[in-house]
Amino acid sequence: MDSKLSRSAPRSGRGQGAVVGWLDERFPLVQSVDAELCRRVPNYASAFYRYLGGLALIILFIEFLTGFLLGVYYVPDGAGQPAPAFTSVDYIQHTVYLGWLVRGIHFWGASVLIVVALLHMTFVFWTGGYRAPRELNWMVGVVVFLLILAFSLTGSLLPWDLNAYFARGRELSILSGASVLPGGVSEFLKNLLQGGPIIGPATLLRFYIAHVFLLPAVIAGLMYVHFRLVRRQGPAEPS
Amino acid sequence: MITKSQIDDDAAAAPPPSRLAIGPGHALYPLLVAVALIGILFGPVGRQVADDMPESKTHPYFPDHYWPYPILAMAALIALGLLALFGQPLLQTTQSADPRATVIPHPDWYFLSLFQLLKLGPALVTSIVIPTAVVLGLIAWPLIDASLGPRIARRLGWRSWPVPGKNVVTGTLWLLGLGTVALLTLWTLLGPGACIPWFFNGPVCGGL
Repeated sequence: MDSKLSRSAPRSGRGQGAVVGWLDERFPLVQSVDAELCRRVPNYASAFYRYLGGLALIILFIEFLTGFLLGVYYVPDGAGQPAPAFTSVDYIQHTVYLGWLVRGIHFWGASVLIVVALLHMTFVFWTGGYRAPRELNWMVGVVVFLLILAFSLTGSLLPWDLNAYFARGRELSILSGASVLPGGVSEFLKNLLQGGPIIGPATLLRFYIAHVFLLPAVIAGLMYVHFRLVRRQGPAEPS
Repeated sequence: MITKSQIDDDAAAAPPPSRLAIGPGHALYPLLVAVALIGILFGPVGRQVADDMPESKTHPYFPDHYWPYPILAMAALIALGLLALFGQPLLQTTQSADPRATVIPHPDWYFLSLFQLLKLGPALVTSIVIPTAVVLGLIAWPLIDASLGPRIARRLGWRSWPVPGKNVVTGTLWLLGLGTVALLTLWTLLGPGACIPWFFNGPVCGGL
């Protein structure tokens, strides 16, 4: 069924029709697009707080994009004085065209993402969106939130300046249970997290690998599960 | 003049009909395919509540439900751009990391509450027990709520165990949790002058 809009609006050349037709013979493209876009959604699903999860995904996407751009220039090497990691950040900040903007968006995006994810969690909690059959999705969501914090922790060491160095030192000391856990356990955790007895180039490399490869892979997998469950279970009914 | 072979070519290239206002022949159709693919890639839609609801209580996903997303994306990008512009002082590089330097570190804002919490009790409790309990409690919350909730409701004489938004127990619990984090963060930001008497290790002050 073609509408008035479709008839009066600009039409593509025969090429597009041929491509759609070719694809449709191999995969029910038009039917799938129709089913996806024409499906009905309950009116209560349009409340503003229901969009917070989507907003978090949008910001996460912006973080991925700006992170990729920063990765083009960033050098994860903490050896020497000044270290290449620091000078590469300085180069991004002061020399690269719009580098300050991309870095700024990435930096502020991390904080805004934490706030938006926390707001999303708050509204899901408040409206009972974690209740059966959505328990598993809540659990996945909490782990995703923890991963977002881990993203921020690992990312904030990468500028390799004085504050990043000493602040992460204190945070790692807390995380490794220094002066709380038995010496051997604390030492093991410290070595595992920072790659040696003190924070150094090995720590930077570990944090870089976690920030750029490990965490994105894990969070992408969990986000897939999260959204797959959201689609399967639909929006939670208001109680 | 249109030849028969051209007409045959057109028929072969004709895409199948669509229920959407923008059909496969429209120049914007690839955009719709991109929008739909985001959802299609996340697997099939299960049986939805909307399927059993009257049409007046539902609306189509596109464009009625979808339209806020592009606006949110633009708003987020503009807001982050403005934050990047006006928040540049926080992004200025100072000096390369040096273990010999003496600096009072400023942790990221989301860790300030944890730093302040460490001052309030034995390290084992504040750095290991409480954070671990909070994380595990959050993960297992749906199970805790489902098992403990009805029992508490019975004891209180309630007919059911409402969702936290209508439940004075769980609602207060969440608000208290968020409030505590906010208060501890604020306390740290108030600096070393903000001291209160405390049973553990004498008066506790803000700051780092």
